[in-house]
Amino acid sequence: VKPDEAAKLLAAYVDGQLDAARSAELEAHLAENAASRAACERLRGLSAAIRDHATYHAAPAGLRARIAPAAPRRPTARRTVFWNFARLGASFAGVALLTWAVAIAVLRPGADDLIEREVLAGHVRATLGNRLIDVVSSDQHTVKPWLSARLNFSPPVNDFSGQGFELAGGRIDYAGGQPVAVLVYKRRQHVIDVFVWPAAADSGARRSEARGFNVEQFARGGMRYWLVSDLNSNELDDLAQLLASRAAAP
Amino acid sequence: LPDRQTRFEQAVVPHLDAAYNLARWLTRNDHDAEDVVQEAYLRAFRFFDGFRGGDARPWLLAIVRNACFTWLRDNRPAELAGPLDEHGRDALDSAEAPGPGPEALALGKLDRRMLNEALAALPAQFREALILRELEDLSYKEIARVIDAPVGTVMSRLARARRLLAQSLRVIAVASEPGAHR
Repeated sequence: VKPDEAAKLLAAYVDGQLDAARSAELEAHLAENAASRAACERLRGLSAAIRDHATYHAAPAGLRARIAPAAPRRPTARRTVFWNFARLGASFAGVALLTWAVAIAVLRPGADDLIEREVLAGHVRATLGNRLIDVVSSDQHTVKPWLSARLNFSPPVNDFSGQGFELAGGRIDYAGGQPVAVLVYKRRQHVIDVFVWPAAADSGARRSEARGFNVEQFARGGMRYWLVSDLNSNELDDLAQLLASRAAAP
Repeated sequence: LPDRQTRFEQAVVPHLDAAYNLARWLTRNDHDAEDVVQEAYLRAFRFFDGFRGGDARPWLLAIVRNACFTWLRDNRPAELAGPLDEHGRDALDSAEAPGPGPEALALGKLDRRMLNEALAALPAQFREALILRELEDLSYKEIARVIDAPVGTVMSRLARARRLLAQSLRVIAVASEPGAHR
């Protein structure tokens, strides 16, 4: 890819104009390329500066009256033009309010959708390439210090071999705009990635399914957990329960 | 079925702010922006039968945009003159090549006045691309409809616009720094 094309691709990503597949590709590239990440941040900064500081020139009140004759009404109706506009104004206010309420309801899970895409991309990338595990160990006392040394937080690490979920190791990935810990568990032939990063508040378990993978997320004990696997959702939930029980224990 | 008049009021009149904002940024003064928007609304009403439904905003903005460029051609021909098309390897391109990149940008120091001035100083084609993208939040496809150009051109214009803006902001920021005399 020529540098010019790469720059356009990055801009399209920041502008939210890439489809999910190409976004995931670009995110994979961003995870490994600090220069591109910096360029991405600069673009975001510039965009935010324009949105925050540039003046939005709303139409002056007089102009509304002036465009009314653009669509001349029949004479009998002319005197009601003002009230039509008033009514129109009121209905737009209503529509705006409704849009705002709906947008809040609809946009709120947007952040989760984005993270789901990122953890899925991370999981797929890791299982496709040979970068599944950076530190191979079933010993939690090896995995935990390895992760802590590379992150600015220390994720809880537990082996659940007794319950059928063997700790296989860990790695660092990138999600939600920050480096995160990934604990890798194995159950039979299935690989389960558990993405972990600090969270301000607890939240209940939420399950979803995307592109044939099962995903479950929750926050407990100051950490957010995202589980991704091709394992069936019931067994994935078993692991989530185990993780949650340990997270709750002091 | 609601009559043409009512449909026009429902589909097109709500986008008056967007129309005025674009015209105000392209003409750069209140009085002419109002005239251009009024003229554009007359045209929009005349050609409303050509509107195929969907979101009327890009449709209307295309008309406003054309009215603005006609106005610029008649009243500010100097602004549209010059080798500004992104297809010709023009003087501006080579002149800016060795210039500083956006990395030198001190966004923290930006204020409203600086940003407005830098935006207003951009060539019209680049200014409109940024206004449509950042202030109207149009998608690349919608911008392509408004300026009647392929999406690839939209992307080039935006890239150029951002580069030019970052450069001029940097110049302004440096010039207004107290200790910038070296």
